[in-house]
Amino acid sequence: MREISAADPPAVPIWMAGAAALAMMVHLYLVFVWVPTEATMGIIQRVFYFHVPAAIASFVACFVGGVASILYLVKRDNKWDDLSLAANETVVVFEAVNIVMGSIWARRVWGIWWTWDAKLTSAFLLLFLYSAYLLIRRATPVEVRGPVCAVICILGMLDVPLIYMSNRIFRTMHPAPVIGGGENSGLDPRMKIVLFFGLFTMLLLWGCMVRIRRRVASLERAADDLVRRTNEMIDQGV
Amino acid sequence: MENLNWLFYAYGIAFLLLFGYLFQIGRRESALRRRIGDLQATVEEHWKK
Repeated sequence: MREISAADPPAVPIWMAGAAALAMMVHLYLVFVWVPTEATMGIIQRVFYFHVPAAIASFVACFVGGVASILYLVKRDNKWDDLSLAANETVVVFEAVNIVMGSIWARRVWGIWWTWDAKLTSAFLLLFLYSAYLLIRRATPVEVRGPVCAVICILGMLDVPLIYMSNRIFRTMHPAPVIGGGENSGLDPRMKIVLFFGLFTMLLLWGCMVRIRRRVASLERAADDLVRRTNEMIDQGV
Repeated sequence: MENLNWLFYAYGIAFLLLFGYLFQIGRRESALRRRIGDLQATVEEHWKK
């Protein structure tokens, strides 16, 4: 195993952290100053530029976590388990952001915080599944942790198409999709720019999080290994 | 104006969640680095004896 040292380069390169911070500031400027206000909902519609990119970032995280889990099951290489854990933890973070922002928007526009319609319920299910994944991961013995968690993660990934399609298949209170939603869907060009820039920003931030969390996972493994080796040395009286 | 307050609440909570998580994993990384450094020093000391 490679030795871990304090001289290792940071998990996130400076340029990437700087780009994420800069993009976040530009995105906030675009959201609060530059983009036009939507005619019917007013200023609260601007939640959309963070709510939707957070949802897409969580879908990307699910996909990456699922593929990493499959690769772990095939190759049994711990680096894939670390990547899967890192991606799955970010699913919880981004899905929580998505649900909280959506709920605040709903309170102003619908007059209620929550309703159990198909879109919201399937999104809640995703948050619930991945939170359960993290709890199960802590509770499972180390020897079977990787395979058990990989299977849960692959099952969790199946919820993503359901969330995406729910407001296309079912009648829901959730607004109809504005991109790829059919004839009557569409977005003002400036709104589209802010949405896509928000998505870029969110994915950059997600990339930083995954890199740090993956490093933490490998450090945890290295620390456990060192403790085990030290105990063995003490037991053998070396 | 009231909607603007709600917008700030929404973005405030979102930032708290995202940067809170970043801060937490950043701290965990530095704590683990220290722990590994200490463990490696203990092992080296043990070998010297």
